Amino acid sequence: MNITRHLYHFWLQFKESGQVFWHELYTIFRDPGVCVIFFVGTLAYPFLYKAMYWNEQITNIPVAVVDLSNSPESRAFLHQWSAAPEVRLTHTCSCMAEAEQLLRNQKVHGIIYFPHDFASQLADPLGKATVSLFCDMSSFLYMKGIALSCNQLVMEKMKNIQIDRYEYMGLGKEMAWALVQEAPYTETALFAPTGGYGSFLIPAVLVMILHQTLFFGICMLAGTVREERTEIYRIPGRKRGYSALRTIFGRAAAYFLLYYALAAILLGFLPWLFDLPHIGAIGDILRFNVPFILSVIFMSICVGFFIRNRESGLVLLFSTSLIFLFVAGISWPKEMVPEGWKYFSYIIPYTWAAHGFIHINSMGASLWATRHEYIALWGLTGVYAVLAIIMFIVAGIRRERKESHLAALEEAAHIGGSFDMVEYFEHSSQPISEDLH
Amino acid sequence: MKEIFLHIWYVLQRELKRMVSRPLYLTASIGVFLFCMFFFMTLMEKGAAEKMPMAVVDLDQTSISRRVCHEMQATPSVDLILITNSYSEAREAMQQGYIYGILVIPQGFYSNLASLKRPRLDCYYTNAYTVGGTTVYKQMLLVANLASGAFQREVLRKKGMPDDIIMNRIQPIAIDMHMLANPWGNYTIYLVSTIMPGILGLIAMMLTIFAIGFELKSQTSHEWLRAAGGDYTVAMIGKLLPYTVIYLVLGIVCHLLFYNIAGFPVNGSHERLLFGMLLFIMAMEAMGIVLIGLLPTLRDALSIGALYGMLGFSLSGFTYPNMGMMPAVRALSNLEPLRHYYLIYVDEALMGAPSTAALPDALALVAFFIPALCVAPRLHRALVYQNYPLK
Repeated sequence: MNITRHLYHFWLQFKESGQVFWHELYTIFRDPGVCVIFFVGTLAYPFLYKAMYWNEQITNIPVAVVDLSNSPESRAFLHQWSAAPEVRLTHTCSCMAEAEQLLRNQKVHGIIYFPHDFASQLADPLGKATVSLFCDMSSFLYMKGIALSCNQLVMEKMKNIQIDRYEYMGLGKEMAWALVQEAPYTETALFAPTGGYGSFLIPAVLVMILHQTLFFGICMLAGTVREERTEIYRIPGRKRGYSALRTIFGRAAAYFLLYYALAAILLGFLPWLFDLPHIGAIGDILRFNVPFILSVIFMSICVGFFIRNRESGLVLLFSTSLIFLFVAGISWPKEMVPEGWKYFSYIIPYTWAAHGFIHINSMGASLWATRHEYIALWGLTGVYAVLAIIMFIVAGIRRERKESHLAALEEAAHIGGSFDMVEYFEHSSQPISEDLH
Repeated sequence: MKEIFLHIWYVLQRELKRMVSRPLYLTASIGVFLFCMFFFMTLMEKGAAEKMPMAVVDLDQTSISRRVCHEMQATPSVDLILITNSYSEAREAMQQGYIYGILVIPQGFYSNLASLKRPRLDCYYTNAYTVGGTTVYKQMLLVANLASGAFQREVLRKKGMPDDIIMNRIQPIAIDMHMLANPWGNYTIYLVSTIMPGILGLIAMMLTIFAIGFELKSQTSHEWLRAAGGDYTVAMIGKLLPYTVIYLVLGIVCHLLFYNIAGFPVNGSHERLLFGMLLFIMAMEAMGIVLIGLLPTLRDALSIGALYGMLGFSLSGFTYPNMGMMPAVRALSNLEPLRHYYLIYVDEALMGAPSTAALPDALALVAFFIPALCVAPRLHRALVYQNYPLK
């Protein structure tokens, strides 16, 4: 008998968290600001980024040529180099000053310079010829394209010259070849054979879009609740009492429902649509998404607790996007992140989620191989959930105490026959969060 | 005339009181800016990628293969953290994100080398992490070439040649690389000099939206207009003056910190670069006015502002150049003030371009004031009638 009563009681409580869930969903869809962030942000941004990194690689970088040697050797070099996809030889200049002018005006992003003695140094069996490259550093990708294509060509050229020189020394052709090609090598780019910038960055950006829109959206919703002078730890519609578990899990379920679907689209479907690397098992991605979304939700609930109005969150938190991106060690290698910042990065779900998603999606790792990230995300989920519950309970108890204090004062005022005091206290009662600061 | 100044003074006084009353105004502009500055200046303290982890799959296990490992280990740019004899172990380490590249030394490398059979080295590197992958790739190429160079040197030495002549034989062509204006290939200089002004501009835009939008939201716009004597222009000048002063001062601090204290190179003129930064900050404020004028509901304007502002960092083209973007998007990038600031920065700091080179972009930044003037009637109406939803 007792057990059924407990069960019934439990069922009633469970129904209440369902009430929170429906109320939260209703709030989200009624709120255009949050809808813009949740739906327009998540669905429009990936396409914009895809359009931005459209060509994946920077090809046909305009380059100026200053050929003072004007020899068959330099011309042959240029001829071969112009076949490289990275560069396009747009201008031929008679002197360095002219080429510099072009570079200054951003007509070209690099200069190749052959000195007078280029051909004669090559012809001299003991000589050393020099090619000078001047690269525009306004984007590292210009430098990378120009330098790598030139490097490869020089390596290629060098072998022929070395063979000529060894033959000149009197070595046999076979011996010369063997010497030059001593240790040939193959080079294989793994996981994104095109080597595109988009293939590398867009997966990380997709995770960032989910992370930040969810973070901002929840903070905005929390700020709105606070603004409307209702308490976030109270079941909507009630005037008294608090219930941390029911409100937190009701809300979290609402966000999870929406974002799990969005995450499945962004991380499961878009890499395929965008022709990005997607060699991971879809089941692993879907399983990995669970702790990812949950940890972001609970982190945002914790942060949202301190936000007093709807807008301040957005104003203050937008800069976290760049910080999260860099501290996670995606575009800047994680080995180079200083110790202090590294520990900071561990408490941010993005760090684990981005690496985990890249490992599964782009590098084909199994969920087992991604266990560190997966477990870390569950750990963050647990820590943030417990933290949120504690904060809600503490705030609830404080509020309760304040209210009972107020009620006692009201009673006292009744006896004294004055109502002013009650009004005074109600107006001076500060939001609870201030007490917690 | 005197009356106008008096009213500006009234609005200014009122605004200063409002600024002090809420921590958001000053915390957002100064606190967030300083935190980001501290973050980006300390994050990349080394400037270039060093000690990138990689693995060697040593199937040969001879003195020569161990020497290749030693040579790898001795280079500053890579860190050999795994020497194994199983390729799948190395691949798994890569999939778990521990290493960026794998060098495979095949079985019989030493014996084949000795009998001039030209054994082959296999270099694998990841493209899922660009900087790490490229660094390791370059180093593997270098070591592979050195391995062949070392063998040539041995043979030539036996023939009794002096070392300096040997080097010219081994390397008959040298590339003489000049990285203009950033000869160290330093990432901090490269990233921070565009990101930090971008963050400052974004703060300026968001707080402009907030300062005006909050009047609408809390329905205090009548009080504000009253202080301005009913004049829209006076009201705006008085309101935005203190913010503009704060951001311009922060812009100057940013400039001094980069180019005078940290010593980032400037090949052109300091004044024009600083002027570009100040114009950029004001253009971002103008965009703030445009957004709150078009959407006089605070929350909508802020949401759109955040989405628009964050795009500026990618659209400016300082990481991935604009020439690789979809043509339509390339055109859109002109709508981001950060794009124009970045071009001014390239002209002035990197290129040392002639004084007129940055002019079109400076004019483009000035052009952002025009839409801000165009939305004036709409925003004025919104302030007077308060006819937009508060939330």
